[in-house]
Amino acid sequence: MAKINNKTKIEVTDGVLIPARDDSSIFSAWRIAFYGAISVLVLLPVLSPEPYCHVFKFVVGFNEDWHFDFASSGLVKTFEVTVLSIICALIIGLLVGLGRISRYPVINRICTVYVEVIRGIPLLVQLFYIYYALAKFVKIMDISAAVIAMAICYGAYISEIFRAGIQSIPKGQMEAALALGMTRSQAIYRIILPQTIKVVLPPIGNEFIALLKDSSLVSILAVSDLLRRGREYASTAFYYFETYTMVAIIYLILTLFFSRLVAIMEERMKTDVNQG
Amino acid sequence: MKKGIILLLMLSIASFCVFTGCSKEQSAGKKIIVATDATWPPMEYVDENKNIVGFDIDLLSAAAKEGGFAVEFQNTAWDGIFAGLAANKYDAVCSSVTITEERKKTMDFTNPYVSIGQTIVVKKELNGMEQLPQFEGKKVGAQIGTTGAIEIAKYKNITLKTYDEIGLAIEDLSKGRIDAVVCDNPIAANYALLNPKYKPVLKIVGTPFTTEEYGIAVRKGNKEVVDMINAGLAKIKAKGIDKELEKKWLR
Repeated sequence: MAKINNKTKIEVTDGVLIPARDDSSIFSAWRIAFYGAISVLVLLPVLSPEPYCHVFKFVVGFNEDWHFDFASSGLVKTFEVTVLSIICALIIGLLVGLGRISRYPVINRICTVYVEVIRGIPLLVQLFYIYYALAKFVKIMDISAAVIAMAICYGAYISEIFRAGIQSIPKGQMEAALALGMTRSQAIYRIILPQTIKVVLPPIGNEFIALLKDSSLVSILAVSDLLRRGREYASTAFYYFETYTMVAIIYLILTLFFSRLVAIMEERMKTDVNQG
Repeated sequence: MKKGIILLLMLSIASFCVFTGCSKEQSAGKKIIVATDATWPPMEYVDENKNIVGFDIDLLSAAAKEGGFAVEFQNTAWDGIFAGLAANKYDAVCSSVTITEERKKTMDFTNPYVSIGQTIVVKKELNGMEQLPQFEGKKVGAQIGTTGAIEIAKYKNITLKTYDEIGLAIEDLSKGRIDAVVCDNPIAANYALLNPKYKPVLKIVGTPFTTEEYGIAVRKGNKEVVDMINAGLAKIKAKGIDKELEKKWLR
């Protein structure tokens, strides 16, 4: 019996390692990576402005005299794609997640097939498909094509999180709600979903970080995100090593920053649950 | 049945080995590996038999034959093509490379072998826009890192969209996602005048607005390969082979 209890749970996720407060070694690893990346990001342009400073300005979207140009910023484009995609993916994910626990076989089957199909196609292929293949029938602008493809893909993954989250709520909750005279849908919206949100927020935060990284794939659709801005710079200035170093560090800082945010959020959730 | 399939597989592998073995035996003398981004018809592209063909390919192959060396072409994505050259992955880049001052800083070039200019391709129904400055406030596409993209970037108010391949830019133009594409005139002509899919919807406007010369790029300081190719190019020029090839591919 003891052996079974001692079994450690192995969790491997797509996102970066999210540090827990009490785990000091992981936290310091995060610290080393985060502050190290920031100091490299600051030091390289200061020590050798040509080309690091130019790369930084070009990629992040400053013009020569450090005026921030919103429209040409690769950083803004990356965020635009990521945030819009995660919002759409959450909506799709919630609907499909509910569909997957639906009692109606048709809805259930449709949602399950959707998840199976989408999870079986590489995101890169999906992006090409929605951008070039579907363009035969409907005209989708570049950024919306990217957002639609990312949302459809991540919607499938997030729906699985929602489904697991809903199923993790003890059955007694639903039974009690039904016993109080609520209908099934009332019980789901008033009792089950509010509790589910607390359970699913950390894994969704993880998906957000994974999506931020995968958003670099949209650069193939001529969306001028961080990676494409970097490639544009490197292909004319020929500073390949310098450019991709800067792009990688900017991505690293972003993902580390958000992983910390997710960890803090998780912490808050825990205390909220304990107090409530 | 299963055995038959395995046998077939083994046979095809064996024949493939024999085939590649043969092609290797043929190459005599010094062999150079040449990178090309075969997405640039009619200069270099992959034909329906998956062979790399085009004007550049024929020209360099002819120069190699005359100059007594062998070439092997390697299909490489454009936006890393010069990085690969610097990293010693191949000896030369023969891929419609325009000789520019900026590029000369990081690589050496052979003598120019053909001159071209940047041209604007638009949709058929667009009238009255013939110069690049007229496209201010519009979206104009080009292949990443090409002289076309560099020309567009000179105008701050034009939204430059860069593509991995020129074919994707042309496709987006035909779908109305961008307003124009800037590329070398032989490529523009190939898509807008010859390609059965794009011929009815696209047209070339104005005349080429730059004068550029193609050269074969070689790693900085690699004089041996430069001299070798230059000697071959001089010989085919003397024989008039280059004019024949221009007639074959560029008319």
